[in-house]
Amino acid sequence: MLRAESIKVAFGRKLVLRSVDFAAAPGHLTAIVGPNGSGKTTLLRALTGEVGHSGTVTLDGSDIARMKGWELAARRAVLPQSAVLAFPFTVIEVVRMGLSGGTSGGDKSVPGAALRRVGMTGYTDRLYQELSGGEQQRVQLARVLAQVWHPVWQGRARWLLLDEPVASLDIAHQLLVMGIARDFANSGGGVVAVMHDLNLTAMFADAVAVMADGQIIAQGPMAQVMTDDTLSRAYGCGLRVGLPPAAGSTFVLPHTARPIHEMKPEFTAVDPAHSGTPC
Amino acid sequence: MSGLFNMHGPRWLLIITVVLASALVFGSAAEAGADTGKSDRIVSLGGSVTEIIYALGAGSRVIARDTTSSFPPEAEKLPDVGYLRALSPEGVLSVSPGLIIAEEGAGPPETIDVLRNAKLPYFEIPESYDRAGIVSKILAVGDAINEAEKARVLANALDASLGAAQARAEARGIEHRKRVLFILSTQNDRILASGTGTAAAGIIALAGGDNAVTSFEGYKPLTDEAIIAAAPDVILMMDRGGDHGAANGELLAMPAVTLTPAGKSGAVVRMDGLYLLGFGPRTADAVNDLSAALYGG
Amino acid sequence: MVAFPDSAIETIGRDRDIVARRTRLLLITVLAATCIFSLAFGAAGTSLWGALYKLANGQTLSDMERIVLWDIRAPRTLMGAFVGASLAVAGAVMQGLFRNPLADPGLVGVGAGAGLGAICAIVLGALLPAAFINLFGNWLVSAAAFLGGWGSTLLLYRVATRSGRTSVATMLLAGIALGALAGALSGLLVYMADDRQLRDLTFWGLGSLAGATWAKLFVAVPLILLSICAAGFLGRGLNAMALGEATAHHIGIPVQRLKTVAVMTVAASTGAAVAVAGGIGFVGIVVPHLLRLATGPDHRMLLPNAALLGASLLIGADVIARVVIAPAELPIGIVTAVLGAPVFLWILLRRRGLVDL
Repeated sequence: MLRAESIKVAFGRKLVLRSVDFAAAPGHLTAIVGPNGSGKTTLLRALTGEVGHSGTVTLDGSDIARMKGWELAARRAVLPQSAVLAFPFTVIEVVRMGLSGGTSGGDKSVPGAALRRVGMTGYTDRLYQELSGGEQQRVQLARVLAQVWHPVWQGRARWLLLDEPVASLDIAHQLLVMGIARDFANSGGGVVAVMHDLNLTAMFADAVAVMADGQIIAQGPMAQVMTDDTLSRAYGCGLRVGLPPAAGSTFVLPHTARPIHEMKPEFTAVDPAHSGTPC
Repeated sequence: MSGLFNMHGPRWLLIITVVLASALVFGSAAEAGADTGKSDRIVSLGGSVTEIIYALGAGSRVIARDTTSSFPPEAEKLPDVGYLRALSPEGVLSVSPGLIIAEEGAGPPETIDVLRNAKLPYFEIPESYDRAGIVSKILAVGDAINEAEKARVLANALDASLGAAQARAEARGIEHRKRVLFILSTQNDRILASGTGTAAAGIIALAGGDNAVTSFEGYKPLTDEAIIAAAPDVILMMDRGGDHGAANGELLAMPAVTLTPAGKSGAVVRMDGLYLLGFGPRTADAVNDLSAALYGG
Repeated sequence: MVAFPDSAIETIGRDRDIVARRTRLLLITVLAATCIFSLAFGAAGTSLWGALYKLANGQTLSDMERIVLWDIRAPRTLMGAFVGASLAVAGAVMQGLFRNPLADPGLVGVGAGAGLGAICAIVLGALLPAAFINLFGNWLVSAAAFLGGWGSTLLLYRVATRSGRTSVATMLLAGIALGALAGALSGLLVYMADDRQLRDLTFWGLGSLAGATWAKLFVAVPLILLSICAAGFLGRGLNAMALGEATAHHIGIPVQRLKTVAVMTVAASTGAAVAVAGGIGFVGIVVPHLLRLATGPDHRMLLPNAALLGASLLIGADVIARVVIAPAELPIGIVTAVLGAPVFLWILLRRRGLVDL
């Protein structure tokens, strides 16, 4: 169980989080949604110990503020919103950095498998900086996966904390990445994801926390929280859940995409030169 | 801490240590021996020391010199072992010296230590910018190169000549003494002038002039107002070659300089740097030349 | 649609490692060669081989051979090796820590502080009581440079550390401020200096290994060696730092300790190197950059290779410095800059696309 109690974060005099309580359960994909500036990312950073805060964050009952960096690293991995890289490392070198943090350090097949999982086989020796933004995002995901390769380790769930994991991806890769997060949760691990896309959230998440103005205004199972009223209040515009557009208008929903593995076998060797259409 | 460690650290360190240690063993195998000094192989460090050695007729015994030794012209043909204060020990030793004679202040100290350890005769010649200083300098060099008799003759002659110059200066009377400003350089229109305690101050005093700047020691930049206040009758500079007319014109056109007596009368004296400031055997001549330039005839 | 076996992926990924390991072997050979070269060549015609032959036949060496080989060339060679290694490793560590390929130890104030210390010793040293000067002797400038470098780094580190967290950005900015202050104080002292002291300052600023003695080696080498050893353990941490401080922390790197160790080792080793050899530029930037181009940015490989290449490079530069205008010699800083700057420009031109990486 990942639990946060009365978290307050202030940047200067501005209170960014005002006493937030949050909980996520292993085996679930818990999404944090809300408008820009509502405090989603700050909450995730509080959960990872990246920003100073009052209140406590506990992982399976132990206060993360008291845990060593390497203890935490073995139990949870964090995907940042945008990942810069200072030196010209290759893709496989970046993924291996994640490997050395977790407990699967001895297993040398993990980085390759992690790259394959995110559809980046064949990119191993490419320079990270030469990849597109979406490809970089997937390499970072592979690094994070390599760190907590087994969703359950020594009887305890491990955690993926994802900050807008699909922000710079096309719809096929959004489905791929959300599918990976879903699988991780299905295998017993815990996933917390800050999300912008309400459709993907609705499609993949088990539980949702809706934030507005530094507070969580609703939290719970999908059906209870994703309501016209809550979303309209959070985002400040009239939103209606589950209502199809007027007949004749064009819309594309991720829900109706055919599962990705039906089109692309998992073990495909992708030729980087022709990687424009992975779908 | 375990997070910081990786398995590669110690091994490469070991390798480096072994390589360096083996280099160390190379050297440590050397053992002491003995070489006899050859005092006809003189390394002369310092412009005035070199001049004195040549003046004592021992020029043919000099085999190497430092960068500041530019007179007499024969000396310039000798190998140059570097700047007086940044000597390299191996450079000096490479010319197989039998005797090293250095002006006070030769260095760095580490190099001098090595040279002394080499069991070579090493003489440091003290320096002071006055009449007695020149005499003792010549005598010290004479002792070092075993030409004490010639040195005494040269020193006596210089002493007499300087004494005469001094007497002439005193006879001139205080009211006729001229204020002399020594300018080292005029980079970027900033004048770097001599205060007290310098070779320039010494030579001005010997020639019977008054140093126009006595408020600081050494060479320092002067503000325009300080130049006006110093009110020099004559400006003294080193002769660096090139077109003096243009250089003097530039100097005299500087606003602060135009307001001084020297500026108004265009009294600029230029002399060769080593000749003027060397405090060696030619100093009596330099004093007379400067005196003549200041007071005429 | 062929399956890619994991083992194949692993082999591809290890390629740069293999190159790096081979490079290391090559660099060890090069270092050994430059060491021998440096012992064998110099202004004096003394022959290393002649001396070894004599020793092998049980003969004693002449005074000249003993002094030139043992008192001059040997400490110089070792000093070159350690100073070069320390400058290159310090450069690589700083670049890793600041995540900028142009960072150098100057960023943590070592250069400015050491320079100020040296200038103080050169200019104000004469004003000290004679007993004090006798106590330090030739060490005054070195000791002052080390204390200046170390002290300014400690100051910067304190300024940049709030409640147990060191802000690298604050350190950078404070370093600029401290550099300006040290520059102003240095200027004041330069104003007070006489012309001889000014020449000394100029030569100090250009660096030289001419002052290398066994005594200085015995003091400087433990500090440098200890720092290089400590830096050897920073490889994985510095790699992770390339992903950003937060991510390095998430991967399990003790980021704060990494920063402390990095800053302290750089201050100690650079302080010691600058103290004994003066200001020597370009080694700290060119060496890591060259190696990054050749074998990749992995600090676990980069740091040891930088130590080896830095050592070879400085010994080589020193051989040039003392041979090219023999029997006089050039300040080594001139040689490293003359060699380093064009190489650096060439790299930048050739790899224009990758400069900002």
